[in-house]
Amino acid sequence: MQQIWHILHTQGGEIVQSIGQHIGLSLISLLIAAVIAIPLAIILMNHQRLAKVMLQITSILQTIPSLALLGILIPLVGIGTVPSIIALVIYAVMPIFQNTYSGLTTIDPSLEEAATAFGLSRRMKLLRIELPLAMPMIISGIRIAMVMIIGTATLAALIGAGGLGTYILLGIETNNNALLIIGAVLSAILALVFGAGIDWLGRLTFKKAGIVLATLVVLIGGFAGYRQVTNSQTTLTVAGKLGSEPEILINMYKDLIEHDHPNIKVNTKANFGATSFLFKALQSGSIDIYPEFTGTVLESLVKTKQSASHSPAKTYQLAKSALKSQYQMAYLKPMAYQNGYDLAVTRQFAKKYHVKTISDLIQVENRVHAGFDPDFNQQKDGYPGLRQAYGLKFASIKTMEPSIRYKAIANGKVNLVDGYTTDPEVQAYHLVVLKDDRNFFPPYQGAPLMSEKLLTDHPELRTTLNKLAGKVTTTDMQKMNYQVSVKHQKAAVVARDYLRSHGLLD
Amino acid sequence: MIEFKQVSKQYTEQLALDDLNLTIPTGDFFVLVGPSGSGKTTTLKMLNRLIEPTDGDIYFDNQRLIDYELRDLRLQMGYVLQNIALFPNLTIQENIAIQAESLGWPRKERVARARALLEQVDLDPDQYATRMPSELSGGEQQRVGIIRALAIKPKVVLMDEPFSALDPLSRKQLQDLVLQLHRELKMTFVFVTHDMHEALRLGQHIAVMRLGHIQQIGTGEEIIHHPANEFVRGFFENEQTPRPTTVQVLVDQGRGAATTMAATLPVTATVNDLAAALKQGPVVIGTASGNRTLTTADLLDYLAQTEVE
Repeated sequence: MQQIWHILHTQGGEIVQSIGQHIGLSLISLLIAAVIAIPLAIILMNHQRLAKVMLQITSILQTIPSLALLGILIPLVGIGTVPSIIALVIYAVMPIFQNTYSGLTTIDPSLEEAATAFGLSRRMKLLRIELPLAMPMIISGIRIAMVMIIGTATLAALIGAGGLGTYILLGIETNNNALLIIGAVLSAILALVFGAGIDWLGRLTFKKAGIVLATLVVLIGGFAGYRQVTNSQTTLTVAGKLGSEPEILINMYKDLIEHDHPNIKVNTKANFGATSFLFKALQSGSIDIYPEFTGTVLESLVKTKQSASHSPAKTYQLAKSALKSQYQMAYLKPMAYQNGYDLAVTRQFAKKYHVKTISDLIQVENRVHAGFDPDFNQQKDGYPGLRQAYGLKFASIKTMEPSIRYKAIANGKVNLVDGYTTDPEVQAYHLVVLKDDRNFFPPYQGAPLMSEKLLTDHPELRTTLNKLAGKVTTTDMQKMNYQVSVKHQKAAVVARDYLRSHGLLD
Repeated sequence: MIEFKQVSKQYTEQLALDDLNLTIPTGDFFVLVGPSGSGKTTTLKMLNRLIEPTDGDIYFDNQRLIDYELRDLRLQMGYVLQNIALFPNLTIQENIAIQAESLGWPRKERVARARALLEQVDLDPDQYATRMPSELSGGEQQRVGIIRALAIKPKVVLMDEPFSALDPLSRKQLQDLVLQLHRELKMTFVFVTHDMHEALRLGQHIAVMRLGHIQQIGTGEEIIHHPANEFVRGFFENEQTPRPTTVQVLVDQGRGAATTMAATLPVTATVNDLAAALKQGPVVIGTASGNRTLTTADLLDYLAQTEVE
C-alpha cells in the first residue's frame, strides 16, 4: 500500500497522462466502431441474408487473438495509436452491430405497420420510431463494446500507444504488484465511469445524445488535427523494450540527438512488449531506432549458422554483418555494459570463502545452494553449459520464478543465484557478481539499431550515437536501473544526469 | 368515392380475394364483415396499399391508387389498428400528431390539434397530452388510436377490427364514439369487424364476405330481411329473432296458472319489472294465448332451474 502511494506520488504526472491516453484510445475506437456499426446495421436491417453474412464476418474478426492482430497490423500500418485503434475498432464493431441489428429487427411489427400506413418518410420512421425503440439494445451493445475496449486497450502499450497497460505490463515484468494494481484498478474505474456515462447518454433524448456525440467527435478530431499540425517538423521515433533499462537508453539517444541536431525532434516510445514487435516496427519504418542486444540479434533476429561466440567483439561483428546483409540495417557500436547471465552471491559469502570469480566456486562447490530460473537451469547457455565449462557441481539446486530468486537469497534460503548483469537487485540486496573468467556466458551488449536508409539520410547520427560506444559500464547501468525501477525516479532525469556527469551533454 | 374493379389477390398457396367489385360512397360508414379468412382485412389494407392486388384496379376519387404518390395517398388516410399500436417512445400528444409532423405542420398547430381531439373524446388534455401510452388503460389507448387517425382531417379513415380486444363496456362506448365522430366529421369510414352485431350497429352499408368473395352488400335492414343466401341468413340469424324475454320464457314454459283476470304486466316486460311487481303479490301477464298469474315462487323456481343448467 505504501509503495502504491509512493508511486502515485512520484509518477502522478505520467499516470495521469496514461489515463488520458487510455481514454483517448478507447473513446476514439468506440466512436469509430459505432459510426461504422450503427449505419451498417441500419443499411442491412432490410437485407436479412447480407446481415447474416456480416454478423459472421464480425464474429470471426472477434476470434482473432488481440496479440496476433497487433502483430499483423504492425507491418501494415506501423506502431502506436493507429494500429491500436484499428484493432480495438475491429473488436468493438461486432457487439454494436449485432445489438443494433437485432434492436431494429425485433420492433413490434404492428408498430412498423402503423408507421408505414401513416405515410412516414423512411427517414422520419427511422429517426422518430425505429432508432428510439432500438436504443436500449444499441446502448447495451455500446456498453459491451466499451468494457471490451477498455480491457483490450491495455495491450496497446505493447506497441507503443501508451495507456494504463504500461503499468500492468511493467508490473508483470518486474514483479511489482503496486504497478500492476495501479494499472488494473484504474482500468476498472475507467470502465465503471464510462459505463455510467453511456447509461446517462442512453437516457437522453435522441437529439441530445446526438449533440453530445457530435461534440465528442469534434473535440477529439480537433485535438488530433492540432497534434498533426504541431508535429510537422522532422521527427525521429526512438523505441525501447519493456523495462527501465531500455527507457533510460532511449532517453539518452533523445538527449544526444536533440542536443547535436536542434532541427530534429525525437519521440520516445518506451515499454514495447516484445522484441518481434519492435523489429517489425523498425522494418516497416514506423520507428527509426531502438537499442538491441548483440546476443538477441544472433539468437532470434537473423539467420546464422555459426554458433554464438563468447567474445563480445566477435559477437557484435557477426550480428552487424548479418543485419546488414539480411535486413539492410545498420548496427552502431555497442556500449560497455553487458546484460547477459551472471552468477551472484551475497557479500558475506564472497568474503568468507574468498570468491571473486566463477572458478573460485570450484573449491567451495559443496557449500553452494543455488536458486535458478528454470530456463537457466535447462538451457545450453545456462547451468548445464556452465558445469561443463568450469567442471562445477553444486550441493543443491532449487528452481524458482526469476522474480523471487533475489528474495530467496536475501532471506538466506539459497546462497547463489543466476541473474542478469544489470539487474538493480544486485545493488538493492548487496550482492556480488562473480567474474565469468572463462568467458562462458554469451555476450549481450546493447547497441543502437536502425535502417541503413536512416543513416544515409542523416549521416550525422552515427557520430552522435557513437558517443555512447564503450560508455556505460555494467555498474553504471545497475545504478541507473536501481534508481528508476526501485526508487521510481524518472528515466529521462536519470539518463540526463548520467550524460551530464560524464561530459556527454552540457 | 372508392371503387374496387375486378380486384383479386393471389398468395402463393391460396386465393385471398377473387374478382372483388365494390363501391364505397364518399362520406359513408362502410363495414366489411365476415369470419376469419374472408378477405375483409386484405380488402381494407389494399386501400392504403399495405397490400397490393395481383389483379384489377382500385379507384379513389376516380384516380387509380397506383397512380398516387404512395406517401401522398397514405397521408390522406387515417388508420386504426386492431392492437392499437401507439408508439411507446412518444407521448400521447406526439402520437396523435405523428402524421401532422410528417406533413410538416408547425409544432404549435400540432399541439393545438392534439389537445382539441383529446377534448373531443373526453380525455383531459392537461392530464393526458404529455403522458406515455403505457400509462393509459386499454380503452383510453384505443380512443387515442382513433383520434390519431383523425388528426390530419383525412378523407378516409380505415379501421381494422379496432375494438375486438376490448371489454364489452369499453367496446360499446367506443362504438358510440365513432358513430358520433362520423356524424360530426363527415369523413368516409371503412370499418372491418367479424362481429355482425357491431356491423349492424355501425354500418350504413355492410359488405358480408366469405372466403374472398362478397356475399351481399346492402344496408343492415336489407341484409337482415332479405339475405342473399344461406350463409348470410345463418350469419345474421340471431339478429332476426331477438332473444325472448325472461317473462316470455316463463309463460312459454307454462308456469303459473291460467286466469281471466285483466293483465297487470305485458309479456315484453323485463325481469326487473316483474320482480318489482311481485313484491305487491301475484302478477297477471297478458299474452295472446290467454293471461297467466305468476307468483314469486314461480320466478324462484325458474331461477333455481337455470342455475342448475
